[in-house]
Amino acid sequence: MSDAAGSLIQAGKDDARKAQRARFWRRVRRQPVGIVALAVLVLLAAAVWLGPLAYRTAPNRTDARNILKAPTAAHPLGTDELGRDVLARVLAGGRVSLSVGLLAMVVGLAIGTLAGGLAGYFRGRVEVVVMRLVDVFMAIPNFFLILVVVTAFGNHPVTVIVTVGIGFWAQMARVVHAEFVKVRGFEFVEAARALGATHPRTMLRHVMPQVVPQAIVLASLGVGWAILTEAGLSYLGLGIQPPLASWGNMLQNAQSYLWLKPELAIYPGLFIAATVLAFNVLGNALRDVFDPRG
Amino acid sequence: MPPIRVHLKLLKVLAALLASLAVALASAQDHDPNGSLTFATNADPTLNPWNASAVIESNLINTILFDQLVRYDPTDLHPAPGLAESWETAADGLSWTFHLRPEAKWSDGVPFTADDVVFTFNDAILNKDLGARNASGFAPVDRVVKVDDHTVVFELNRPFSSLPYFLAYYAGIIPAHVLGDAENPLTVASFNKGNPVVTGPYRVGEFVPGAYVKLVPNENYWGPAPKLASITFNIIPDGNAQIAQLLAGGLDMVSITNPALLAGVANNPNLEVIRQSQNIWYFVALNLNDERFQDVRVRQALLSAIDRPAIIDAVLEGYGVVATGPIAPLQQALYDDEVAKWPYDPEKAKELLAEAGWTPGPDGVLQKDGQRFVIDMPTGQYGYLVPSTLLVQQYWQDIGVEAKVETIEWNAFIQKAVVNRDYDAMLAWWSTPPTPDQSSYFASSGAVTGNNIPDYRDPVLDEIWERGRAATSQEEQVAVYREAQERMAEQLPYLFLWYPDMIAVKNTRIGGMHDINSAANFQYSYDWYVTR
Amino acid sequence: MTAFIVRRVLMGVVVLWLVSVVTFFLIHLAPGGPSAAISFDSTAEQREALLKQFGLYDPPLVRYGKWIVGTVRGDLGVSYNQGLPVGQLLMQRLPNTLTLGLAALVAATLLGLLLGTLAAVYRNGWVDHVVSTISTLGMSIPGFWLGIVAIILFAVQLRWLPASGIVSSSGAGSLVDRLRHLVLPAGVLAFTLMPNVVRVTRSALLEVNRADYVRTAKGKGLAPGTVLFKHAFKNALVPVLAVLGLVTTALFSGSVVIESVFGWPGLGRLAIEAANGRDYPVILGATLLAGLIVVVVNLLVDLLYAAVDPRIRHE
Repeated sequence: MSDAAGSLIQAGKDDARKAQRARFWRRVRRQPVGIVALAVLVLLAAAVWLGPLAYRTAPNRTDARNILKAPTAAHPLGTDELGRDVLARVLAGGRVSLSVGLLAMVVGLAIGTLAGGLAGYFRGRVEVVVMRLVDVFMAIPNFFLILVVVTAFGNHPVTVIVTVGIGFWAQMARVVHAEFVKVRGFEFVEAARALGATHPRTMLRHVMPQVVPQAIVLASLGVGWAILTEAGLSYLGLGIQPPLASWGNMLQNAQSYLWLKPELAIYPGLFIAATVLAFNVLGNALRDVFDPRG
Repeated sequence: MPPIRVHLKLLKVLAALLASLAVALASAQDHDPNGSLTFATNADPTLNPWNASAVIESNLINTILFDQLVRYDPTDLHPAPGLAESWETAADGLSWTFHLRPEAKWSDGVPFTADDVVFTFNDAILNKDLGARNASGFAPVDRVVKVDDHTVVFELNRPFSSLPYFLAYYAGIIPAHVLGDAENPLTVASFNKGNPVVTGPYRVGEFVPGAYVKLVPNENYWGPAPKLASITFNIIPDGNAQIAQLLAGGLDMVSITNPALLAGVANNPNLEVIRQSQNIWYFVALNLNDERFQDVRVRQALLSAIDRPAIIDAVLEGYGVVATGPIAPLQQALYDDEVAKWPYDPEKAKELLAEAGWTPGPDGVLQKDGQRFVIDMPTGQYGYLVPSTLLVQQYWQDIGVEAKVETIEWNAFIQKAVVNRDYDAMLAWWSTPPTPDQSSYFASSGAVTGNNIPDYRDPVLDEIWERGRAATSQEEQVAVYREAQERMAEQLPYLFLWYPDMIAVKNTRIGGMHDINSAANFQYSYDWYVTR
Repeated sequence: MTAFIVRRVLMGVVVLWLVSVVTFFLIHLAPGGPSAAISFDSTAEQREALLKQFGLYDPPLVRYGKWIVGTVRGDLGVSYNQGLPVGQLLMQRLPNTLTLGLAALVAATLLGLLLGTLAAVYRNGWVDHVVSTISTLGMSIPGFWLGIVAIILFAVQLRWLPASGIVSSSGAGSLVDRLRHLVLPAGVLAFTLMPNVVRVTRSALLEVNRADYVRTAKGKGLAPGTVLFKHAFKNALVPVLAVLGLVTTALFSGSVVIESVFGWPGLGRLAIEAANGRDYPVILGATLLAGLIVVVVNLLVDLLYAAVDPRIRHE
């Protein structure tokens, strides 16, 4: 492409972007609940990852002589059924649950975007194959699939992350595929192709940015879903295993102590609900920001 | 066991029956003839005691349905007459003769005979191709021979003085005239999952898969007439849900597998908590193929490091006592309290390990020849194995031994730990008949492929078990098993942890129960009644 | 139209076949074996006898071959641990799952339509915010946790409803008894499914509201209620219908956990029991049946969709 033509397109795009950005921030300001949700998530992340630097009690240290104790200075949230510090476990469990949620989302998003992107961009045979595969995965009820995979490969955290991620790649692929098909027809994409941009360059520079908003929304909702799924798996004894704590397996353990010490179930339950709620609220807010008609 | 003892026992049982008769008469006024009981079981049962899938969810139901040759005396758990009225053993201990009850009938009216006993043993349990459950308990039995319609002889390949105990342990007799023609008598679906022909006081009235099994009185029962209109087992997999139903009045009795759940029923005037005893011992098995554990001082140290009373208080809510060996205190005559006990003593543990060459390394973990003392400790999701394992892990860490705990799903755990013997240490339990003959868990012959999980090989102990099997008098038995218990407490083939109490919670409206032991209780289900 | 149906049915068959291949080989990778054989107190001799009975010494390909041939003929094999034909086990459990699923689906749909419509009508008002809060909660609270809380509250504390099971032996057969058992599990499941319907209903109604004919109707001075029900609602049903296909999949996933909480003897619990007990034929059968239902529901949804909106057929 000639320099002149290129810079002209660039200049036009820059102006459009500035205006777009201004509109974007205006819409963001109209989502106070979403901002609160984001703040909650940042706080939570800071607590579970940075908290242990200040609060050094070991989460897995058992003490048979001090079980189910009420809160004290040494144990601000008391101790659990094995005398472990509940606060330390809530933090450690949060680290695991959030990591599983985020990483599973990354796995699902990566596979889904790649597959959906390729299918939507190239169409034709690639599309047929990929989208049929998507259909297969959509037809297996997620939980049955996850059940079988976890049974086959055991409960290692990596297995849990990958399976939970695979549990929603198909949904992701479907959305990304639709977006790609739509964006592909846009004038500036066709222009870029006409001006000789390569496929990877066109996909990454021109199509991807249009898909990102949708992907961010899905990712946000996906993290919530992944955390819930891990909790459900743990409830069935198929998720993250002790001694490693996760909110899900803490909840499962606490179930035997519902009569004796219901707080044990309340803390992880509240944290799961609050985290997933925050991710969902954030996701909905983002959807409204990116697509104000919704 | 000499015949004279059996007759003494008969008298005792008679006395017990008379006593319970008196109680029954006294309560006859408030006993509700239309009463029924509802219990819980955690999965669909398999109504054939020898099917490999008939385990915890089926055991008690099958105990009601299928009478056994021998049952437990409900006062002291010694063998008492069941479908066999009496029995005696030959002088050489190599054959046992059982005299069957001539009046016993199957629920379809067909008489119960020696053919049924011969069929149950020769064609089902002893047929190795079928893989019958608990078959390994009868390894000393070669075959069963019919003498006449009401007499059978058990022919043995070695003396087996505990035979009556094994015959009383979930060993129901199955009908030859119903299952005799089946290719595999243990897998006939219409029997196992439908309406089996039985000898017990109750038979199946209705079996709704996934929901409940309802038992109704067996009109052809040989013994006392049952006092209930029905006994229903609701299928409820979750322990919490069972407790919730018990509180809501939907269940009359629940077995508590996790003592923590007891808090839910505390202070309820309609419910009564009962402690039952059973010969169950929890243990840590150290893989004795591993050189480190072949040093007895290391085993003694690892046991001394564990505060067992603290674990019993924490995990079992105090419902259990520290174990000294495989013979539990409920075997009053044989249980030996005067053995090495290895009480909680971390200092002594460290000393023993130091003697064995294990000294603290730079990171606090013990070392020997540059090797850190690290133990792979897989554990399975079942009962309270995981929490117990985590507490043991901590006690070992406190003396500088690092246990790496890996929690895996129960089936995979069995494959790894039991089938492949792929572990350094593991915590589990054995549940056995209340007999001193615990050899299958210790004998060299059971290593690698059998129930000797730690692969312990000790010719001295092997010889003691053999003597125990051949012992005929009570004094001889006491002496031999005392020797066995002392040897095991010193050598620690397993690290013995505790004998748990079996806990049940029942509604106070139930009468006629024998609270000593659930298996025994269910063998006398015709005694149960409901007060008005 | 016929070509469309034939194509979709063929695709469904291929999908199910792939599901069976994936499930079969994955589950055989799992450590352990049928719990009938792999029990803690089993000896090597017993294990060998039982594994031989189950035919597990054959190579996997041979076993898959046998299984697929049987399946095509309608014989799904015999459960290792239960000793019953898999088809019979599935048919015992299927009605329970369908009852629970349909009850939850109907409740979720009705509630979702109602709330979604309210939210659309009072867009951005407080009603909209309340609805969006409720549906976000439905998406965020773990279903099993809600179930446990519901049991404690309604079964243990208030004693209004049974804690678990599908029918009590005392009230066997009575419709009231069955309904009482259904309330809690179906309610909890419906609560977790409802948000999907709310969201789709709301946005579909808003979309339709902007459509010309609705504006025209409004312009002609028709009452808002008439506009809503005569014009908007009918058209908004299309996307709602579409979401039902998705909800069915979610329903199965949700019911696996809910069935465990409430001791509901359905397919989900059967699948978990089978996976834990390595009951290979049962896992395969249950997965295949669940897949079949999802495929059929999606097909029906597509057909209805095509019937309502003829443009779909040309795609």
